Amino acid sequence: MIKHWTIIGLLGILLAVPTAGLAQKTTELFIPIGQSPGLSGKHTLIGKIAQVNAPDNTLTIADATGTYSVSIASGSRIYLDRSKAGLPNSQGALTDCNVGDPVEVKFVDNARSKPAEWIKVQKAR
Amino acid sequence: MKSLVAVSCGILMWAACHLPAPSPPPDPGAELIEKGRNIFFNETFAGNGRTCGSCHPAENNLTIDPAFIASLPKDNPLFVAEFNPALKTNFENPRLMREFGLILENLDGFGDLANRFTMRGVPHTLGLRISVTSSDGPRTGWSGDGAPGDGSLRSFATGAVIQHFTKTLNRIPGVDFRLPTAEELDALEAFQLSLGRQNELVLPLQLRGTVAKRGQELFLSPTVGKCFRCHGNAGANVPNPIGGRSGNLNFNTGVENLPDQPQDLTGEPVPPDDGFGTPGDGTFNTPSLVEAADTGPFFHNNAIETIEGAVAFFNGASFNNSPAGRAVGGIILDGTQVVEIAAFLRVINVLENIRQSIELLKPVAQRTSSTEEKIRRSVGQAAQETQDGIRVLSGGGLHPQAVQHLEEALRLIRKAEHGFLFRSKQAEEAIQQHEKARAELVATS
Repeated sequence: MIKHWTIIGLLGILLAVPTAGLAQKTTELFIPIGQSPGLSGKHTLIGKIAQVNAPDNTLTIADATGTYSVSIASGSRIYLDRSKAGLPNSQGALTDCNVGDPVEVKFVDNARSKPAEWIKVQKAR
Repeated sequence: MKSLVAVSCGILMWAACHLPAPSPPPDPGAELIEKGRNIFFNETFAGNGRTCGSCHPAENNLTIDPAFIASLPKDNPLFVAEFNPALKTNFENPRLMREFGLILENLDGFGDLANRFTMRGVPHTLGLRISVTSSDGPRTGWSGDGAPGDGSLRSFATGAVIQHFTKTLNRIPGVDFRLPTAEELDALEAFQLSLGRQNELVLPLQLRGTVAKRGQELFLSPTVGKCFRCHGNAGANVPNPIGGRSGNLNFNTGVENLPDQPQDLTGEPVPPDDGFGTPGDGTFNTPSLVEAADTGPFFHNNAIETIEGAVAFFNGASFNNSPAGRAVGGIILDGTQVVEIAAFLRVINVLENIRQSIELLKPVAQRTSSTEEKIRRSVGQAAQETQDGIRVLSGGGLHPQAVQHLEEALRLIRKAEHGFLFRSKQAEEAIQQHEKARAELVATS
C-alpha cells in the first residue's frame, strides 16, 4: 500500500507543471513597449540600445540608471514594435537591433542576471 | 375634506415605508467593481464591436453554449467573422462556433494562422477568487496560461483584446483596437473577482437525497471516485500539495485523446490542442465543479454536453491511459455510480444557484439597493439562477419538491421583475421559497 502511494506521489510530481512562467507568450508580440501588464515598469528594463554585440549575443542597454548587458539565449524572442508607426508588429532577430533603438527587456524569471525572455525593439517603420 | 387628508397622509406614510432607503455611503471597492462591470459588458476597446460580455454574458452564467448562441441576432459581434470581410478567414470558425460554442485561439503563435490554432470553449468566470491561484502563480484560461504580461487575472483582458477584439488580423494597437489602461485592468479584475463564490464549500455536506448523497461518498472516496484528489471540496484546487505544489494545478487527463470528438466529426480543420505553453505540454488546469452542472458543455474543447457524460469520461480509456489517470491508479465506475456522482454535482450546483439568488434578492427585500438599475439587474440575475436550479435538478430527475419551491420562487421573482409596488415583499417570499428548496437538498444546522 505504501509503495502504491509512493508511486502516486512521484507521478504527481512529474505531472505538475514546472514553476517557470504561467503567462501567455504569444500575444506579447502585439503589446507595445512599456505596456505589458504587470511587467512593464516593475520587472522589465526599458531603455535604448547602446551597443549590439553580435558575436557574443548580447546587447548593451542604457537607461537613466546606467548601462546593462543583456544576454540573448536560443529561447529569447525579439519583437519588433512598429505600433507607433501604425504598422503590424513582427518577430525579429538580433540583426534588427540598432544602436539608439528604444527597447524593453523581460528577463527569464524576472532576474536581470538571467538571459532575456523577450526583447521588444521599437521601430519607426 | 377630512377623508382626503387622511388618504393623502396614508399615501405619504405608505410611500415612506416603501421607498428605497437612503443610499449607503460610497464604498470604493464597490465602485471599482461597478466600474469593472461597466467595462466588462460595454467597452469595445475601439475594436470589432465585441465586449468581454460577448463571450461571457451575464444572462448565461458568463459563458456561451450553442443554445445561447442560437438565440443571438445575426449582427451580434460574436459573429463578426460572418459579416466583417477583414475577419472572414482565420479569425473564427463560424460553423464550430454555432454548432459547438467553440472560439478560435492562437495560443501557439500568430505566424501561421491557417494551421496553428486551437478551438476552445468559453470558461465561465465564476468563483475566480478561489480558482486561479496556485503555488506556481496565477492560472487563467483553460490551460493556465491565458494572460500575457505577468500572467495574472488582471492582465487577462489585454490578451483577450488582442486575440478577440481586433478589427483586422494585423492586430495593430491603436489601429485595430486599443489596449486596456492600468485603471481599466484594475476595475476588470475587481469585477471578475466579485463574481460567484467567494469561499470554498466544505465537504461532506449533509445531503438529503439518496442518490446525491451516495454520489458525494463516491466523489470523496480515495478508492472509487477519487474526484477529490484534484477537485478539493469540489472546487478547482488540490486538497493537498502535489510535489510541493498547491492550489490550482495543471494535469494531462487525456481529453484530447477522446475518440469521435464532435468538432472532429464535422470535417472542419481542428488541430490538436497542446495545452499549457508554447509548444504545449498537453496539460490543462483544473476547473471548479461547483459551477459545472449549469455551465456545460464540458472540458476545454466542449467535447461532452452533459454532466453525466463528463463524469463518465473519467471512466473511459482516454482518461485511464492518460498521465493523470495512471497517477491516480485509474478510475472504474459503474453506470449507477456515474449518475450518482453527477447527481451530487447537480445538487451542489443548485445549492450555489440558491445561495446566489438569495444574495441577489436580499437587498431588494430589505430595500437597500441603491438604484432602480441595480434592483432590476439583481432581480433579473436571481431569475436566471433560479431557472438554472430548476433546469439542473429536473435534468437529473432530482428533488421534485425542491423544484416546486424553486418554481414558486421564480414566479415571485418574475412578479418582482415586472412590478414595483410589492417588489420587496415578493423578493422576501422568493427568498423563503429558496430556503425551503435548500432545506430539501441539505440539512441545515
